[in-house]
Amino acid sequence: MTESHEPTREGGAAIEFDRVGFAYDGAGKPVLEEISLRVEPGERLGILGPNGAGKTTLVRIALGLLAPTSGGVRVFGRTPAQARAAGWLGYVPQRTGAELAFPLSVRQVVEMPTLVGLRPWAAPGPEAREAVEYALGVTGCGEFCDRPIGRISGGQLQRAMIARALASRPRLLVLDEPTVGIDAVGQKQFSTMLEEIRRGLGVTVVVVTHDLRTIAAGCDRVACLHRTLHAHGSPEGLTPGVLAEVFRHEVEGVFGAVHVDAHRAEECHDPSHAHGAEGDGHAHD
Amino acid sequence: MRTIEYLFGPPELAALFWPAVVVGLLVSVLCAVLSPLVVLRRMSFIGQGVSHAAFAGVGLAMVLGLGAGTGGDWGILIVVALACVVSAVGIAALSDRKGLNADTAIGIVLVTAMALGFVMIQHAAEAMRARDEAPGFGVESVLFGSVLGVRWGDVVAAGVVVAVELSLLWWFRRGLLFWAFDEVGAVSVGVRTGLVRTLLLVMLALAIVVTMRLAGVVLATALLVLPGATALRCSSRLWPVFGISAVAGVAGVSIGLVVSFELDWQPGPAIVLTQVAGYAIVRAVSAVVRSG
Repeated sequence: MTESHEPTREGGAAIEFDRVGFAYDGAGKPVLEEISLRVEPGERLGILGPNGAGKTTLVRIALGLLAPTSGGVRVFGRTPAQARAAGWLGYVPQRTGAELAFPLSVRQVVEMPTLVGLRPWAAPGPEAREAVEYALGVTGCGEFCDRPIGRISGGQLQRAMIARALASRPRLLVLDEPTVGIDAVGQKQFSTMLEEIRRGLGVTVVVVTHDLRTIAAGCDRVACLHRTLHAHGSPEGLTPGVLAEVFRHEVEGVFGAVHVDAHRAEECHDPSHAHGAEGDGHAHD
Repeated sequence: MRTIEYLFGPPELAALFWPAVVVGLLVSVLCAVLSPLVVLRRMSFIGQGVSHAAFAGVGLAMVLGLGAGTGGDWGILIVVALACVVSAVGIAALSDRKGLNADTAIGIVLVTAMALGFVMIQHAAEAMRARDEAPGFGVESVLFGSVLGVRWGDVVAAGVVVAVELSLLWWFRRGLLFWAFDEVGAVSVGVRTGLVRTLLLVMLALAIVVTMRLAGVVLATALLVLPGATALRCSSRLWPVFGISAVAGVAGVSIGLVVSFELDWQPGPAIVLTQVAGYAIVRAVSAVVRSG
């Protein structure tokens, strides 16, 4: 099992981005500029932004899958590679790159992270088996866990991938566009599941999305990203002005009937959440 | 039947044919166990690139004067193994470079190896003829395999490679399966995917080296593709797939060798056509079962 309970630095953040910048080789414009952001342990942070805003790039930097061009990142006080090697990270990508023709059952897929790091002859212990059962249960995968991974629906596959990420008992769970293609009922179920996961595991959750409903459904705090960090605060602080700045076009055209104007604008500028204003000078007013 | 005569007839005749049978059975198990991973990771074209690199390795060994006239010579095996491993790692490195996809990288390695191999084999053969020496083997046997070209030295080499690779596959099975199923997912939980991928490529290269004497460089890859493709038509469960693949591999090589002995075909085409027939039958039966 990859789980570890080593202590982090006293008062350490779950993730700390320090003036992070990133540009792909040969690309003129950077994807990310001067991103400074602190995610507290146990928090549910939503990273909101349009397609191409750099959201996935940002989380891939946090996971150590990409190295920042400038600045630095610490995850529970360690480098992302160290955190990854310790099994602290659970990641559910936007589109699974998994080979779904693989002859594996849902249960075998969920068990995979618990087998990493074991001696070749060792079987998973009771804790690991319990973690798998919990992950299958909390995501609702129990009912189809014996079916081949290639013969389940898209929604079920998404839940199976979340269950796999949970099975290693990560300290940080990163979900990239977890509700794409999911209807209103599914959104509600997702929200309930996220709350249950947080209560059950105390895990820090980062949700990356372009969909405001996903943020509203289960995040404590939201960071608006479009190359730079525009604002971050509670979801209630998202005003049409902030969103228009982030998305750069009509909010109603993107979100339809979502009543973003009902939220209080001032909360977006709570000084305790004004990290973006300090770091990049792009906080919206 | 020629098969019975060759294998159970006069000892001097049996001594010529048994090495091919033993090597065939050994490599069929190894290739069949690797085969589902090759098929699912879409690595069969990589296998083609690596096996064609063996052709350049044979050419280089002949130019260096290694193993000419002695099919099981260790020198030639080592040169060919090095050529295959270098090409496998080279393909992986080229594929990782931006602006060059895996197909292009493999295509470049494949044609370069064939061209170099042909030039070197021709040059070595001419030099040997000038010295009134007979080349140890012809281009045709390198390309399509030869029963009589397999010696007891090849049996030892195949035995060592099969034992080591099956042990490594068991040892690294969890990381290999995770990587093969989902590379990004495996990276995110700390699987050293670069190591796992390189390990599999080196294992593929060495499996091809010990297979090519019997099946030839052109057809060796078939043993890495057809058993897995057949097994995946039969089952959607992990361990049954590997079991069925092993059975399909051993059956295909055994029947293919009998066909080779009886019809006096070269072993490579006989084995490949037998395995293709097995795959076609399984595919037809599974289509009927699924439609019913």
